[in-house]
Amino acid sequence: MPEHVTVAVPLDEAFVSVVRIIVSGVAERAELAFEDMDDLQLAVERLLAEAGSEGRASLSFELGAGYVRTRIGPLREQGLAEALHRLDRTPGQLTLAWVLDTVVDSYGVEEASGDGIVVRLEKLVGEPM
Amino acid sequence: MKQATGSPLNAAEDRELLRRFHKDGDVRAREHLVTRHLPLVRSLARRYAGRGEPLEDLEQVGAIGLLKAIDRFELEREVSLATYATPNVVGEIKRHFRDKGWAIRVPRALQELNARMSSTIERLTSRLGRSPSIAEMASELGVTSEEMLEALEVGSAYTTVSLSVGRGGEEDGDPLESIGEEDTNFERTEHRASLEPALHHLPSRERKILRMRFEEGLPQTQIAERVGLSQMHVSRLIRKSLAVMRDELA
Repeated sequence: MPEHVTVAVPLDEAFVSVVRIIVSGVAERAELAFEDMDDLQLAVERLLAEAGSEGRASLSFELGAGYVRTRIGPLREQGLAEALHRLDRTPGQLTLAWVLDTVVDSYGVEEASGDGIVVRLEKLVGEPM
Repeated sequence: MKQATGSPLNAAEDRELLRRFHKDGDVRAREHLVTRHLPLVRSLARRYAGRGEPLEDLEQVGAIGLLKAIDRFELEREVSLATYATPNVVGEIKRHFRDKGWAIRVPRALQELNARMSSTIERLTSRLGRSPSIAEMASELGVTSEEMLEALEVGSAYTTVSLSVGRGGEEDGDPLESIGEEDTNFERTEHRASLEPALHHLPSRERKILRMRFEEGLPQTQIAERVGLSQMHVSRLIRKSLAVMRDELA
């Protein structure tokens, strides 16, 4: 059975370090490699940076067999959903989608409603070599 | 390349290079001076190692002091560049520690633990053939996972000082890394999304790191090997670069 951890965080730059600690704690429980933990932190951090600075969002972690699934939302910033769908790997065009596509195994908009969108970030737990 | 020492001959060579830079605007002479005196910077930086800051960061900060000394040097001075630069380099390193305020805010044990992490990651990565987990790192260092995470966050709060201090102290490029080719692939063409590049505002090293990470898809450990930095340092540079780019476009 997957374990779940859910916290609500203010969309405020001052809380970025708090979010990083939460992510690292979850990653440690999930036995993510150090580099994968760092990737997940970066993904969450960049996503929140694009989500505006008002209100709060829920961070929900699902720790399953071989994966950590993170859901973040509701995020109300207009254009965010479109930016997430626009995976353009033109050199020099380092978009949010490109960053996420590099640092997590999969991502996407999981829910969209009047309250905003919920974004899913998934990181697989690598097999020891 | 020949390194500068305190000998009269080298002092004379320094003076000639300083003259070419200050009188003729010869930037290659400036680069030459930097290269000649980097061993001095490394030597001074080593004196402050083991106080919670990576040595490579202290060397970078010290290099800023060297550049300032070169730029401010007055040819009329009856003093060698090495003598003149030393207090500048040391001053810059001390200012870095003051700015960090670690001695006050962060327990020494955490600073030291953080400082030991880079080499531990490299050792374990080499031994295991993969990136280690937090638990493996904690075991190697003889601390708990919670202490590891705490010390990690101490490091992530750290802002890497860029070498982007040009002549006159303005942030106008990366003087130490201005030697080399342009990264034409990363020229900004247009702003099409919220996280698009202000890449040309980044020093060339940071641009190269971003290109390796996001265009070539290299993991941080491989990037670290290629650029000669620790993986933790590469991680910080990536985070900082992305934040800088976004701020540029905000």
